[in-house]
Amino acid sequence: MPLRLRPGYPHSSSSHHLFASSSSSSSSAHRLYTDGRDQSAGYQPKARVTERYRIIGFISSGTYGRVYKAVSRASNGEGIAAPIEVAIKKFKPDKEGEQVSYTGISQSAIREMSLCSELRHSNVIRLVEIILEDKCIFMVFEYAEHDLLQIIHHHTQQPRHPIPPATVKSIMFQLLNGCQYLHTNWVLHRDLKPANIMVTSGGEVKIGDLGLARRFDKPLHSLFSGDKVVVTIWYRAPELILGSYHYTPAIDMWAVGCIFAELLSLRPIFKGEEAKMDSKKTVPFQRNQMHKIAEIMGMPTKERWPLLPAMPEYIQLNTLSAMQHSTHSHHHHSHHQNPPSRGYATTSSLEKWYYSTINNNSGAGSAASGPNGQPALQSLGAEGYKLLAGLLEYDPEKRLTAAQALQSVFFSSGDRVSANCFEGVKVEYPHRRVSQDDNDIRTSSLPGTKRSGLPDDTLLRPAKRMKE
Amino acid sequence: MSANYWESTQRRHWLFTKDELASMRQKLEDENAELVRMFPLPQPRHMAIYFNQQLLRLGKRLTIRQQAMATAQVYLKRFYTRVEIRRTNPYLVITTAIYLACKMEEAPQHIRLIVTEARQLWQDFIGLDTSKIGECEFYLISEMSSQLIVHQPYRSLLALRGELSLVDEDVQLAKSIINDHYMTDLPFLCSPHIVALVAILLALVLRPNSTVPGQSASGSAAAAGLAAAQAALSQAHTARSGQGGILSEIPSTPEVKERVQEARITRVQHFAAWLAESDVDIAAMVDATQEIISFYECYEQYNDKLTREQINRFVKARNLDK
Repeated sequence: MPLRLRPGYPHSSSSHHLFASSSSSSSSAHRLYTDGRDQSAGYQPKARVTERYRIIGFISSGTYGRVYKAVSRASNGEGIAAPIEVAIKKFKPDKEGEQVSYTGISQSAIREMSLCSELRHSNVIRLVEIILEDKCIFMVFEYAEHDLLQIIHHHTQQPRHPIPPATVKSIMFQLLNGCQYLHTNWVLHRDLKPANIMVTSGGEVKIGDLGLARRFDKPLHSLFSGDKVVVTIWYRAPELILGSYHYTPAIDMWAVGCIFAELLSLRPIFKGEEAKMDSKKTVPFQRNQMHKIAEIMGMPTKERWPLLPAMPEYIQLNTLSAMQHSTHSHHHHSHHQNPPSRGYATTSSLEKWYYSTINNNSGAGSAASGPNGQPALQSLGAEGYKLLAGLLEYDPEKRLTAAQALQSVFFSSGDRVSANCFEGVKVEYPHRRVSQDDNDIRTSSLPGTKRSGLPDDTLLRPAKRMKE
Repeated sequence: MSANYWESTQRRHWLFTKDELASMRQKLEDENAELVRMFPLPQPRHMAIYFNQQLLRLGKRLTIRQQAMATAQVYLKRFYTRVEIRRTNPYLVITTAIYLACKMEEAPQHIRLIVTEARQLWQDFIGLDTSKIGECEFYLISEMSSQLIVHQPYRSLLALRGELSLVDEDVQLAKSIINDHYMTDLPFLCSPHIVALVAILLALVLRPNSTVPGQSASGSAAAAGLAAAQAALSQAHTARSGQGGILSEIPSTPEVKERVQEARITRVQHFAAWLAESDVDIAAMVDATQEIISFYECYEQYNDKLTREQINRFVKARNLDK
């Protein structure tokens, strides 16, 4: 082997040396580096997380992995950049525990990495960088102090008090603005919910967690074939519940409608119970969720939604009616060929829901009142209802698009929409909880939680998925 | 952005001038002067031809779609602007580029299957260990700064098909020219729609019976094609600037005799007229046309055996296959 590394051989004057010594682990790349063979064969990270960031603590965990709060360290070399706060998302390795070897990055991680690298909009969370180190992926995002879930929760604390109308308006405008950007760039978010909508301390709304986002510009395979079920059930559009094969931006808009309703009433408008996947791994019909929607929106009909009968699960609407009169539940396979509506109104009672919500938000007297002693949310008026009804439209083709919703009179009438949703707000929202228990980003074990009903990359690991 | 080329990382970070590209490559060579000296390699275009062929071989075994193959080609090119070839096992990089591109283009292939197939092709260079691919994937993504979304000319071609009244044969020929352009530096030098337009132009002016341009276009045909293409472009340019403006005098290749070819000439005229009306960067098209034509000329000197031997030599000598 005459061409092995020899003394004086110009092995890598590049950055490899800089960071190699800081690595405490013995990755295989590291081994390769030191065992005398050519180091370039092994992957050497260009940067190391702990070199670039000081970890403050642990924020949350999910199916994807864990999120940490951190601040950037003073940049080595030219000048000192002001430290910035970031949230670092560490992807869960495919196998629990010690990551022994590279197994290939999951398709959903690839999607999120590639999409976030392209997106640049003030209402979409900004990716700072991605660090690939020790077989792990670290996505570094700008930090946001709040999210809508936390803000809504704060308002449910006694005394329960509504979110100020100007804040609701600003949040909705910014949220729609971010959606419009995603949709005009052919990106579906597919998992919009309060927990995924970040708000900075400056009142800027940022759509986050693009872990389920997909491009919808001419995918090679139908979008349906990849992940069978998307969107957290409470925010799931009716066409998805009814088994639609076509994914359109309208599914995000339904979720935005649900979020709007939740900002007003402080609780999920359609809080269904999720039907779990059975042992045969068939995707169940989300009967209870459909029931919750129909309770307020009325039963969908051909008249309101012409393509309704073409929905794969259309016939299930029958069993929904049967559920209402549950004494006959054994009959749900029999011959009702007309799904509509026994036990449900065919017309929507959303308007009633809306006015009772804004007129009597939370029932708590004084805190809910505006300057004239009226309930504060009353100022949102009829235009607020129109926007809500336009977003919670059964027929996805008639549902407002983000661009249309932004043109709504709701935003052009009344007070100017502020780019800071906290403008004029006196309350100080609690800061994001950051736990100190576990702030070792490099070693911490990862939770075994799983986003239910979201088999991803089915092609990659079909057998394993079955077990989970 | 995802579907917006103008805001994309491709345009912001992976579009270079010829000089920039040359100096990036020079820098890599300088940093690896000793390696470069010890392991001479064929000229870059011949390397590109070899890589392209190997990529296609594996793609064929796995029946991978064109879109994913095109993306894999771009990954390979991007990676080698950042990493010296002689520090890598090209067969591993090719395999990994396909693996990653398939995921990116929503047509994932199992890592095990890819490794098995790659091993069938390159037994001496690819082991059974899938973690090698996984590791190389990190390397690729890292060198590409996680910028994985690639805009391809195929879409522009299909979008323009109707507008330019292209027939199937034109589209097929233009597609194969686009396929060939991955062996040149054009993916770094111009935007996808320019490549598509050049491919259309060449499809219209090249000899209609040269099915696979890369292999069958003889030097003289290529030269004739270039002349015709340049004439059409300068005609369009002249028309746009308000001088002349009569497009009747579109040059034709000497072989033109039959009616089919006359119809083709009409399409060339239509194309030139369309171009004159558009605000497409004609200068960029002229450069790109020259690039492709000179590539076809260079293709004729390609020596597969020599290229393979020289590549395999450094991989083996440096134990990069281990």
